[in-house]
Amino acid sequence: MQKIFLFVDKVSTWLGHTFSWLMLVLTLMITWEVFSRYVLSNPHPWAFDVMMMLYGTVFMMAGAYTLSQNGHVRGDVLYGFFPPRLQAGLDLVLYFVFFIPGVFAMAWAGYFYAGESWAIKEISNITSDGPPIYPFKTVIPIAGGMLLIQGFVEIMRCVVCLNEGAWPSRKEDVEEVDVDKLKEMVHVSDEDISKLEAYIVTKESETK
Amino acid sequence: MKKEIWFGLSILAAVVISIFVFMPAPSQMTNGHLGLLMLGLVVVAIMMGFPTAFTLMGMGMMFAWFAFRSRAPDLAVQQTLDLMVQRTFSVMSNDVLISIPLFVFMGYLVERANLIEKLFKSLHLAMARVPGSLAVATVVTCAIFATATGIVGAVVTLMGLLALPAMLRAGYSTQLAAGAITAGGCLGILIPPSVMLIVYGATAGVSVVKLYAGAFFPGIMLATLYVAYIIVIAKLKPKMAPPLSAEDRVVPLPAYAKTISNSFGANVVRGLIAGLNGKLKLEVPARTLALQLFIALLPALVFTAAIGLTYRAVTAPIAVEANEVQEMGSGFAADEEEENLSGPAAPPAEVADAAKPDASAPATAAAAAAAPVAAAPAPATPPPAQASGERLNAPTGFWVTLAMGVAALAAFYAFFTFARLEIFKMLLSSFFPLAMLILAVLGTIVFGLATPTEAAAMGSMGGLLLAAAYRRLNVSVVRESLYLTAKTSAMVCWLFVGSSIFSAAFALLGGQELINQWVLSLDMTTIQFMVLSQVIIFLLGWPLEWTEIIVIFMPIFIPLLPHFGVDPLFFGLLVALNLQTAFLSPPVAMAAFYLKGVSPPHVTLNQIFLGMLPFMAIQVVALVLLYVFPAIGMWLPNVLYK
Repeated sequence: MQKIFLFVDKVSTWLGHTFSWLMLVLTLMITWEVFSRYVLSNPHPWAFDVMMMLYGTVFMMAGAYTLSQNGHVRGDVLYGFFPPRLQAGLDLVLYFVFFIPGVFAMAWAGYFYAGESWAIKEISNITSDGPPIYPFKTVIPIAGGMLLIQGFVEIMRCVVCLNEGAWPSRKEDVEEVDVDKLKEMVHVSDEDISKLEAYIVTKESETK
Repeated sequence: MKKEIWFGLSILAAVVISIFVFMPAPSQMTNGHLGLLMLGLVVVAIMMGFPTAFTLMGMGMMFAWFAFRSRAPDLAVQQTLDLMVQRTFSVMSNDVLISIPLFVFMGYLVERANLIEKLFKSLHLAMARVPGSLAVATVVTCAIFATATGIVGAVVTLMGLLALPAMLRAGYSTQLAAGAITAGGCLGILIPPSVMLIVYGATAGVSVVKLYAGAFFPGIMLATLYVAYIIVIAKLKPKMAPPLSAEDRVVPLPAYAKTISNSFGANVVRGLIAGLNGKLKLEVPARTLALQLFIALLPALVFTAAIGLTYRAVTAPIAVEANEVQEMGSGFAADEEEENLSGPAAPPAEVADAAKPDASAPATAAAAAAAPVAAAPAPATPPPAQASGERLNAPTGFWVTLAMGVAALAAFYAFFTFARLEIFKMLLSSFFPLAMLILAVLGTIVFGLATPTEAAAMGSMGGLLLAAAYRRLNVSVVRESLYLTAKTSAMVCWLFVGSSIFSAAFALLGGQELINQWVLSLDMTTIQFMVLSQVIIFLLGWPLEWTEIIVIFMPIFIPLLPHFGVDPLFFGLLVALNLQTAFLSPPVAMAAFYLKGVSPPHVTLNQIFLGMLPFMAIQVVALVLLYVFPAIGMWLPNVLYK
């Protein structure tokens, strides 16, 4: 079972990682477009559409990845104080009440939405003769489907947690605040902190 | 542990019960009541800790179906599905939200360029004479670094590693040290370019450009208030923030500087020139001296360049208006004019832009004066005949600025010792690149040279270059920044998908109208309404995150604004300032936990919270100041866009 979890995690993470490189493409593309417009006086009418598509694709495809890393924002003012079993129980119920219906409806509707777009080979109407937009709309069912699969894995995680009383581990990934890395970056070690602790304690005892 | 759980759950239960008590009987329920029910339930659902994006999505879907069913039962399912996919697609093709991932990417890159250590060190040496210098330097470092990165957690952690030990060793009180770090670290949320303002702009339909222009001065004001508070405390209670000992202030001098200052005195310019003249046969190569002299003279050069450009701009013959006038009639002189005046639309912006990055006293004064001065002649429409190339006389303001600048520069060079030169060089490699990056990004947005998206992309590019310049650019840094960017943007944008479905359902049910009627029936004055709304937002800041507050509750407040004659732009500035307090309000403030994570065990969470309280009070003072003097925020957007 754990194998399947980790495999789905891997796929989501791989998708998220791969598509995140589009951000770099987006950065370089806009930089080039600005250069091209102001310096070479050669703006490209499709640039705006392509920017949109890159941005939309990145965040949609990273949805499952973010879920697999437990990265979606939660109101954790109470949740944070709950024991794991209660957390898992609440999550389990709410996955069925909100997540599965909502995401399934979105992916289902997105499938037909994209299908209609493919049928007429729709092009963007922001500029005349815009680039084709049907591949972009296809992102909705794909991202939704991936999110749904990841959601099932999360549900299984809740079940495991209910049984064992502790959350199963997740795949390691980059973290926004990685204390060890930050310590290394500014050349501070744990020793320095404990030295500081000793320093404060001695000074406090002196003043007392 | 158990007690807290029961306490939490009973609060939730009480909310649910009270919702149902206040609801009319099911037979009398209208769609509007359903909307209110939905709003109450969503708060409860969010508190249960499920990912908010999907809570909103699921709940929005159900209630949208209710709304559609009451109109046309047969079509309800199809209409709900259509609504969901259209809302999703509209977020995917939102031209405001697109700058979020770019700014986030820029932030991660700047964070990894690792300037903060140098920045803090150079700033605290530069401010050694200011009372409470370490705490002041902490706030300034945080303000700059947090503005460029916008990542509260990383900034607070880094400052906790760097500044907290420094302050504690220097004998600062733990509370003051902790307060300065946490309060400073959260400034990045307010000072543009911040993601919060983009989210507000996208939700409320207010131009992000105007929000950025408007939030700039309130952000600076808040930082200044923090600094002022620290200085006052340090003056009144020197025990809490003792001055630095002499050995902490020593700047190590390189060998050449020692030899020169030994023979010619400590003044940089005099010493270097004398050394170059060869009065002294030292073993110092002339190249080193020339290079140092060039660095030492940089402020003067920048000032001269800025003044020169300003002079060109203010004395340039005015042809912008003239062109417009002539377009109506004949175009006979248009070509000629375009040739010698290709710039006049840009110079005022460029000048202010070029002058601002130099944050030393003279140039800032120049920049502050340059904008109005440069803008002043523009409104006067001259007769077309005059616009043929004569230079105008510079206005008095220009000469006053020039005189003040020269005086400031003279004073600056009179006291410019070799120790100060070393500090200046440190600033040059840490403070100025960041300040330049921020001001370049902001300047291009605010002066309309680029859209926020373009400026954000250029900022990311700047982040890449910055990382490269500090030899930190490698595949793993870029890769990690990209992965984090993807996660953060997915978090914010999926929340938008959910909230946009949710607010569509809320509108369909007519919940908004019910709230509008109710608020209008209270017959409040504008002040009452503003105070009430800010208090509500302040209270919501306790249990909820700012993203949730903005995307769920702003759509409810915004439609009420026209009735009270409140500008949504101004309201946005107040909300942004108000939500600052949410970051410092115990016991949920994340900043405190990040700081606790890297501080020695002797520093308790309670001490950190206690230290944050005065800064929270300052935020409230700033909020009141902004409300009483709206010009603090509205002056810049009004000058630029009216």
